[in-house]
Amino acid sequence: MSDLTLAPGDGHSLSGDTVALKRRRRAEWRLKAYGIAAILLAGAALLVLLSSVVFKAVGALSESYITMPVELAADRIDPDATADPKIIYRADFNKIARDAFRARFASVRDRKVRRQLNDLISVGASFELAQKVADDPSLIGQSVDFRFLASDVTDLYLKGAYGRLVPVETGGTLGLQTDGKDIEIISDANDFDDVLDILKAQLIDQARSLRAQAGLQDNGVVEFSRRAADAASDSDRAENESLAAERAQARDRLLTEATDLEARARATGGAEALDRGSISALIRVAGSWIKLTEVGRNRARGTVLLPGDSPVQPTDDWALLLSDLPEKARKISDYQMAWIEDLQAAGAVDTVFNWRFFTAGDSRDPELAGIWGATVGSFWTMLVTFLLAFPIGVLSAIYLEEFAPKNRLTDFIEVNINNLAAVPSIIFGLLGLSVFLGFFGVPRSAPLAGGLVLALMTLPTIIIAARVAMAAVPPSIREAALGVGASEVQTAFHHVLPLAVPGILTGTIIGMARALGETAPLITIGMVAFIVDIPTGITDSATVLPVQVYRWSDFPERAFEARTAAAIVTLLVFLVLMNALAIFLRRRFERRW
Amino acid sequence: MNELLNIESSDLMNHSNDIKISARGVQVHYGSNHAIKDVDVDIQDRMVTAFIGPSGCGKSTFLRCINRMNDTIDICRVDGLITLDGADIYAPSVDPVQLRAKVGMVFQKPNPFPKSIYDNVAYGPRIHGLAKSKADLDVIVEKSLRRAALWTESKDRLAEPGTGLSGGQQQRLCIARAVATEPEVLLMDEPCSALDPIATSQIEDLIDELRANYSVIIVTHSMQQAARVSQRTAFFHLGNLVEYGETGHIFTNPEDPRTESYITGRIG
Repeated sequence: MSDLTLAPGDGHSLSGDTVALKRRRRAEWRLKAYGIAAILLAGAALLVLLSSVVFKAVGALSESYITMPVELAADRIDPDATADPKIIYRADFNKIARDAFRARFASVRDRKVRRQLNDLISVGASFELAQKVADDPSLIGQSVDFRFLASDVTDLYLKGAYGRLVPVETGGTLGLQTDGKDIEIISDANDFDDVLDILKAQLIDQARSLRAQAGLQDNGVVEFSRRAADAASDSDRAENESLAAERAQARDRLLTEATDLEARARATGGAEALDRGSISALIRVAGSWIKLTEVGRNRARGTVLLPGDSPVQPTDDWALLLSDLPEKARKISDYQMAWIEDLQAAGAVDTVFNWRFFTAGDSRDPELAGIWGATVGSFWTMLVTFLLAFPIGVLSAIYLEEFAPKNRLTDFIEVNINNLAAVPSIIFGLLGLSVFLGFFGVPRSAPLAGGLVLALMTLPTIIIAARVAMAAVPPSIREAALGVGASEVQTAFHHVLPLAVPGILTGTIIGMARALGETAPLITIGMVAFIVDIPTGITDSATVLPVQVYRWSDFPERAFEARTAAAIVTLLVFLVLMNALAIFLRRRFERRW
Repeated sequence: MNELLNIESSDLMNHSNDIKISARGVQVHYGSNHAIKDVDVDIQDRMVTAFIGPSGCGKSTFLRCINRMNDTIDICRVDGLITLDGADIYAPSVDPVQLRAKVGMVFQKPNPFPKSIYDNVAYGPRIHGLAKSKADLDVIVEKSLRRAALWTESKDRLAEPGTGLSGGQQQRLCIARAVATEPEVLLMDEPCSALDPIATSQIEDLIDELRANYSVIIVTHSMQQAARVSQRTAFFHLGNLVEYGETGHIFTNPEDPRTESYITGRIG
């Protein structure tokens, strides 16, 4: 209207070159740019999160086996030939399995090293062997090839978690000479230069850290000298001077050590020792494995990890392998690496899809742990939650939305339902602990208790979603139904409810998805316990997926990292499936009017 | 008041064949708002009665009192006496749900249920148990659709959703739905206000035909429509029933100056 009062041509140009117009366009462009930037940022964060979880989870999708002939001597398993599984299970299959490995690596004498050999396979492997024999007692007395489940450390090594053995290019002919327990190694080219360079670089690093320590000591010298100069009494001065002298001594000692190390690093030739703190250098020649303990440019000393079949003649066919990590920085020893490489070269190691992870219950041993127990626990818990929360929630919503008189009491109830939706879930857990467990005596750690608590938590979500869905049904539909003589109950159930179903289902599934991912309230009612058995009902002890994730993330074994990620992915898959179902149901039942 | 009621009820007795609905001293309050003030009116059977008046004058409110649709509004209070065939419809013994089956209603905006055409029409007879068998129901549906002049257009697509029809067809479907419960009175709340002129004329023709079987009350904003379809017209203004009489008489020779002002377009 105001345009009419303006004279033409007084600033309302259509060409768009006025300052105000440009400023407006810039402001609008900026706002859009902020929006796009925000979306890109959020998308990138999500992508990073998902890809890192999925990437980590891949490691849990395969498991390794070591095939080994095992002697099933009758006198050790079932001396009386009863074929009774009870007697068979009582046999010491652990020892039988260990003996199978000792027979393969007969050179191992040292007890500590033998223990490392036992660690190649899972503790569950001998139980599987027992099971196999119990199922088929005719195997007793035979020697069979059995696939032993690899331990988590073996499995992780095979997946490269502790680094690979990297071959170094060699050109010389290798000569070996036994020198007592050790072996003298000579190459006719400078094949150990690379190793020596690495060791010398380590010396430089050590020297640098020594010099840094010397610097700290020097600070002490300066400080105590100043205190001595400022000292009020003679005794005070003397004490500070002696402290300064002490520091100076320490500083000089460190500096000397550093200088020595640097001199060793600079010197060409010479020999350096390898220890647990430096990388491992292994030589593979003619089936035997030698670990270097000292290297020069073209000669080295070493110990035999795994002897070959025959004494080694000078040969060109050898390999020098370096580990990525020093021995003390990885859980797998040089011996174990040599054995695994040897077994792998013999074709005794295979890696298959890890079905066990999806069918087993929890375990302290990562290679035996699975999420089926937690999945079934989640199922029972969600079942209880759904059976309680859905009917109660929907009926409450119908009453409040369609029939309840609008008065202070219903206002009060409505406000409190909205408040309940905002209550932190741990509060519901504490409530469940004191009321369901403490007062009603519901079994601890059971899906029944978890379902009750989660139902309380989900109720407000369902009630609010259902009310919103029913309020969104146009009043004309209600009037039409009332107009042809339908009662209020008939109107609600014949017309309003069917139209609100998509919204109610969506709200319910979103609420259930939230309950599925809930951890805190379940921890307070004891669903965080270590439960190996698959729950068979709502009163069995159980755990649920998110709690399983929480527990595994806390375990020290490194292989649980991949299992945690895989459990997270499983949980995410269920959540995505539930949300997809919500979308599907909404599309399926949506009706236009 | 008593005296008045006695006189009027004797009056009712005399014209019992003609008068379908009678209102005496009807007051409606929405909370503190006095929406209908002391309305007395007699609606003839088998005739079309038009309620006209400016927006907010209370004509729709009064219409909704006749089938007790106002009961669903919490803050609405209705006083006075409304009788259908001489029986007080606000008597405690009367079930409003049964009343609404007897007094059908068609709304301003076509509001078919999001179901098939068949189910739209069959819903009322089903919940009232008017059909004993599927065949009965088929007969009722066909009869209702014929009465609403929709049968020829819809007989081949009864299973299709009612919401897929055009606006005028939807409104006729709503009329069919209303007549399916065998009502005696049809209340129409601006049934053509959301329709185009062609659909409007079809509905108007239909209203004229419905007069043969029902007592029809139509609320309309269009005075031309009132003049075309109704035999009697009531003019409401600010909650008062200003004038009520023969349609021809109201439009050609209004007695009240307010009626004249409205008809000639000076208020509204």
